[in-house]
Amino acid sequence: MAMHWFTYCLDEALGSLWRQRGSAAFSVLTIAAALLVLGGFLLVTENLDRAVSKWSAAAEFSIYLRDDISQDQRVSLNALLSDHPVVASREYVSKTDAAQRFKRDFPDLAAGLIDLPQNPMPASIEVRVHPRRAGAAAAEAFARELQQVPGVADVRFDRRWLERLSGIATGLRWAGWMLGGVLIAAAVLTVATVVRLALHARRDEVDIMQLMGAPIGFLRGPLVFEGLLQGGLGALVALAVLYPVYVIVRQQFATAVGPALDLALAGFLPPGISVLLVLGGMGVGCAGGFVAARHVR
Amino acid sequence: MIETFHLSKIYGRGIYALRDVSIVIEKGEFVFLTGPSGAGKSTLLRLLLRQEMPSEGSMTVAGRDLARLSLSQAQTYRRGLGFVFQDFKLIPSKTVLDNVGLVPRVLGATSVQQQRRTFQVLKWLGLQHRMNAYPLELSGGEQQRVAIARALVNEPSLILADEPTGNLDPDLSLEIMNLFRDINARGTTVLIATHDRELMRHVGRRTLTLDHGRLVDSR
Repeated sequence: MAMHWFTYCLDEALGSLWRQRGSAAFSVLTIAAALLVLGGFLLVTENLDRAVSKWSAAAEFSIYLRDDISQDQRVSLNALLSDHPVVASREYVSKTDAAQRFKRDFPDLAAGLIDLPQNPMPASIEVRVHPRRAGAAAAEAFARELQQVPGVADVRFDRRWLERLSGIATGLRWAGWMLGGVLIAAAVLTVATVVRLALHARRDEVDIMQLMGAPIGFLRGPLVFEGLLQGGLGALVALAVLYPVYVIVRQQFATAVGPALDLALAGFLPPGISVLLVLGGMGVGCAGGFVAARHVR
Repeated sequence: MIETFHLSKIYGRGIYALRDVSIVIEKGEFVFLTGPSGAGKSTLLRLLLRQEMPSEGSMTVAGRDLARLSLSQAQTYRRGLGFVFQDFKLIPSKTVLDNVGLVPRVLGATSVQQQRRTFQVLKWLGLQHRMNAYPLELSGGEQQRVAIARALVNEPSLILADEPTGNLDPDLSLEIMNLFRDINARGTTVLIATHDRELMRHVGRRTLTLDHGRLVDSR
C-alpha cells in the first residue's frame, strides 16, 4: 500500500507540475534564489573554516633568540619547550638559515642583506602548537611566559588573527542563515501559493476522490510531493548556478591574490553539505506543500 | 440498508431543506427519489454521501450511524458506495481507463487487479473500445456510462445517483435506466433521484416523493 501511495503521489505530482509548469517554474526559481544565497554564504564560510583550520594546524610560535644567548640558557629553553603540553614539535632555525629563507622569499630585498657587514637575521625556534591541546588562552599564556625566559629576544604568535578570521566566518554563517531563513520563509509561502493554485486546478478531481472514499494520504500526498519536487529542483538549480560562479570567482582570485592566499585550499561545498542543501530544498518545498494540503480535509 | 428517522436539514436562517423525513430502504431495493426542484432530493443524497451532517434526527446505512462517523470512518464508509451525478464529474485530464481505474488504484488494488476490474466493468458497459479516449471526446451517454462504470468498479453495495439522466436524451436515458436495473438485479441497492416521471413509470419501482423537504408519498 505504501509503494502504491508513493507511485500514485509521484505520478500525480509530476502531472500537475507539467500542467502548471509556468507557476511551478516561478516557485522553483524562488527556492533556487533562497538556497543560492544560503549556499553562497555556506561556500564562503566553509572555505574560511577550511583555511582557518589548516592555518591553525600549522600555527606556530616563533621564538627569536638573542645573539648572545648562552649554552645554559639554550638548554633550559629547550627543556621548557620539551615539557610543555601545547608544544607539538619544534625546529631550530639558525641565523644562516634565516638569511637564506629571506633571500628566497624576498629576492628583491636580498641585495640589501648582502651589502650588510653582518647577518642581521636572528636565530629562532619555530614551535608547532598542538592543535587540540593549545587553547587560545593557554597558548598566549605560554607565549607571555617565554617572553620572560633569559636569552629570548621576542616571541611572535599568530593565533589571534586566526581567531578573528574564525569569528568572521561564524558571523558570516549566521548572516547567511538569517538572510537565507527570510528567503526560505518567502520560498515556503511561494510554494504554498503555487501548490494551492494547483489544488484549485484539480479541485474537482480532489472532490471526486473524496466522494470515492480515497484515504486522506491520497488527497494530500500529491500536493506535498509537488512541493517536495519543486524544492528539490530549486536546490539543484541553486547548485547548478553556484558551481560555475565558484569556478569563475576562484579563477579571478587565482590571478589577483592567488600567490598570497593558498587557493589550493579553496573548494566547492563538500558533498555532504550539497546533499543537505538539496534535502533542505525538498524540506522547504514539502513545508509549502503541507501548508497548501491543510485545505484538503 | 438505509434508514432515516425524523431527519431534518436546516440551512441558514431556519430554512428547512429536509423536514422530519423517515424512510426505510431495504437491501437490494431499487428506489426512486422524486419531487420538484428544491424538494430536498439532492440534500438527502448529500447526507447519505456524508457530505453534510443532519441538523435533526438520525440516519443509518448498513447499520452505521452516519452522524457518528469520524473523518477517516466516513472515507471508509464511502468506499462501499457508488455515486453517479447529472454532470458526470469525470476528470477531464484522465482517460476513460484512468478515470475508472482511479477508484481501485487509490483503494490499494494491485496494478493487475486494477486493470482486470476496470476492463471487466468497461466491457460490461460496452466501453472497452473507448478506454483510451478522454471524457471530452465522448458523447453524453458515453460519459454517463463511464461515470456508472466508476461507481461500479469497486463493487459497492449501494449506488446513489443524482439526476443521472438529466443531461441525456430520452433514448439514452432509457438505456442508462436499464443499466441501473441490471446493476440492481445483481443485488446492489440503488437509489436514484430524478424528476423524470416517464422513466419512473417505465422502470416501475418504489418511489419516494419529497416536496418542500417533506416526504409526501411512498409507494
